Amino acid sequence: MLMISNVTKKYGKVTANDKISLFVDAGEISLLLGPNGAGKSTLIKCIAGLLKFTGTIEICGNNNKSLRAKRDMGYIPEVPALYDMLTVWEHMEFIARAYSLSDWKERAEYLLQRFEMDDKKKKLGSELSKGMQQKLSICLGFLPDPKVILFDEPLVGLDPHAIKELKNMIVEQRQEGKAILISTHILDSVDEFWNSVNIMMDGKIVASKKRKDMEEAGEDLEQLFFRITEGAKGEK
Amino acid sequence: MRALTYLLFTQAKNRILNLRKKPAMLVLYCFIFFVIIISVLYLLQASNDIKTGYADNRIIYLIIGGIGLMYLYLYVYTGLLTGSTFFNMADVNLLFVAPISPVKILIYGLFSTIGKTLLASVFIFYQIPNLKNAFGYGAKEILALFFAYSLLVFINHILSIGIYVFSNGNQNRKSMVWSILYVFIGGIFLAAFLIYKKEQAGILETLYSMVDNKWFGYLPVVGWTVMLFKGVVTASAVDVIISLGMFIAVSVLCILMLTGREADYYEDVLYSTEITFQNKLNAKEGRNTSSNIKRHKDIKNEEHGINKGKGASVFIYKHLLEIKRSSRILFIDGLSIFTAVGVGIAGYFLKDAMKAYIILAVLIYFQYFITIFGKLKYELTKPYIYMIPESSFKKLLAASVSSFLKPCADAVIFFGVLAIVKGAGILQCLFMALTYIASGAVFIGLTVVYQRLFGAQPNLFAKIFIGFLLTILVITPGIVASVLITIYLLPENLYFMATLPYTLICLIMAFIMFFLCRNLIDKTEYSGRLF
Repeated sequence: MLMISNVTKKYGKVTANDKISLFVDAGEISLLLGPNGAGKSTLIKCIAGLLKFTGTIEICGNNNKSLRAKRDMGYIPEVPALYDMLTVWEHMEFIARAYSLSDWKERAEYLLQRFEMDDKKKKLGSELSKGMQQKLSICLGFLPDPKVILFDEPLVGLDPHAIKELKNMIVEQRQEGKAILISTHILDSVDEFWNSVNIMMDGKIVASKKRKDMEEAGEDLEQLFFRITEGAKGEK
Repeated sequence: MRALTYLLFTQAKNRILNLRKKPAMLVLYCFIFFVIIISVLYLLQASNDIKTGYADNRIIYLIIGGIGLMYLYLYVYTGLLTGSTFFNMADVNLLFVAPISPVKILIYGLFSTIGKTLLASVFIFYQIPNLKNAFGYGAKEILALFFAYSLLVFINHILSIGIYVFSNGNQNRKSMVWSILYVFIGGIFLAAFLIYKKEQAGILETLYSMVDNKWFGYLPVVGWTVMLFKGVVTASAVDVIISLGMFIAVSVLCILMLTGREADYYEDVLYSTEITFQNKLNAKEGRNTSSNIKRHKDIKNEEHGINKGKGASVFIYKHLLEIKRSSRILFIDGLSIFTAVGVGIAGYFLKDAMKAYIILAVLIYFQYFITIFGKLKYELTKPYIYMIPESSFKKLLAASVSSFLKPCADAVIFFGVLAIVKGAGILQCLFMALTYIASGAVFIGLTVVYQRLFGAQPNLFAKIFIGFLLTILVITPGIVASVLITIYLLPENLYFMATLPYTLICLIMAFIMFFLCRNLIDKTEYSGRLF
């Protein structure tokens, strides 16, 4: 579903992503973990087609810049980017029209209801609190029913109800066969539902593990993360 | 206090050192510094020629008065709306909660603002050669102009805070300030009218007489600034002392207002600091700087929804909806009305077909700075335009439509007004309107070219120094074609369509720029900000 091969992204002389390769299969939740500045958000943005890079990224077998790939991809950014002068409902309408969705209203209503936004439909983007903006941003990402979903620190700023709903939705999406990549540095927030993990440091993936393998080895996510990240620091 | 002086000097030092990481800015600052040095050397150069026939000093008094009145209105307006601030968000988060006396923090804010104001006023030194040649000014007068301008900005800043403290949350006081402001401005216009009636002179002569009048110098802020400069020019110590005394008195009064209430000004400046911070952020992201003033808007059912568009075309209808929400009349903002009034006045007094082209040229000049802030730029700060599954060219065109419509609406108003006041013939106005629209298309095309070439929009300095060269390069063929065709081919009775070649060439240029940059959205990187 999501295939990343040899992706390198440089900002001038700084290499933010260095020859990164990973694969997320259908019905899989893959984590992108790493300390601040590891290059997680950059990689997510490269996959979303927002940044230029060298290497290959394929969404359902299509180049990530192709229209087909864009149609199959959903992106929930770390910082919600909304339009000040559109209401909550108009944001949904905008995405529906831009993606040429049909029969979208029912799904839009459903998403807003799940995130307790259905009574805010006429609120302008500029009137929403940070948490509300994040919730709307999530609804917008889900609206086109994408096959590959990219989350960049999705739980930051959400209230407990929204966190619970989002976690439930992520699991539901997996059950529907979607490929999900979640970038985060808050381990506790994702501990319960991941299938594979990729740990990034200094722009590289320094470890990739399957949950099954780790459970068999009796290792948990936190142990692995600190062993790798702090071990790497120690080696330096 | 040691922490505050440390903060003040360390920030200044780091700002200078940081220029090493921004070579383009360093070059620009060096250039500005170089120009100022050359200007100062020119000023200091002793001249043996005794030149007579210098321009009337009252021109400068009038310019100071005009700028002063505009600033006063804007700052009072800001004071009533959000207040002004000496601080930034870091000051609020770190200094306001620190165990430092609020009075000391206020002094720090004052010094920091004075420093910034002085720096912002250096542009006056650019004018040294002009001021020396035209008015015969020396170092004394130019320094006086520099300090008068700095003082004008600084005092308006303090006044704005004072007005906010005085009127915040009290509608009666707000109404009172508005009334005073309108009586003040109305009084100036009334005085001008009375002088006009009495002296039976032209409008310009009337205005000169007014700003040169002794009573004008006693008008708050505007008059004091004129009086201060005039005092230096005419070597009147009394004028200088009175005006400086007035400035100091108002500053002290406002500062006492801030510190008098047990120095609890934090709340008063907090909102304006947040607004200023958000404004800077919006400006960086190419958004409307007034959009962050949170006003609740009741959306009526019939106004709710985009309702049209599919795929890329939804950008067109979304922009129309956004514009409808942010201005009372579609595409017509305060600037459009202000400019239309200016065009009307200029057209009424000039009433000359050839001089109407000067109005057109001035409008196009301003258009260059306005068009660049179109909706397309705003869209490039959001991820949606990159992610929507449509071709780059379609998205690019759709996101630019509203930017094309803005010059169309402006052209109808500007040249409609010009035709009404008989500043030019109807047909000439029509062709000039088309020219204005075509220039708008070129400027939008240039926005796209900037983004494609540099991956970002130019800031104001780059726009002035580099962007202008590029613009001249693009529009020169059109200008040359228009001039040559008018001189050699066009019969005199068809002179009204003299700008047609320019219009056509501009449209072709705009199309070429768009076509060459058609893959812009695929090639540009999203950064969430443009500068």
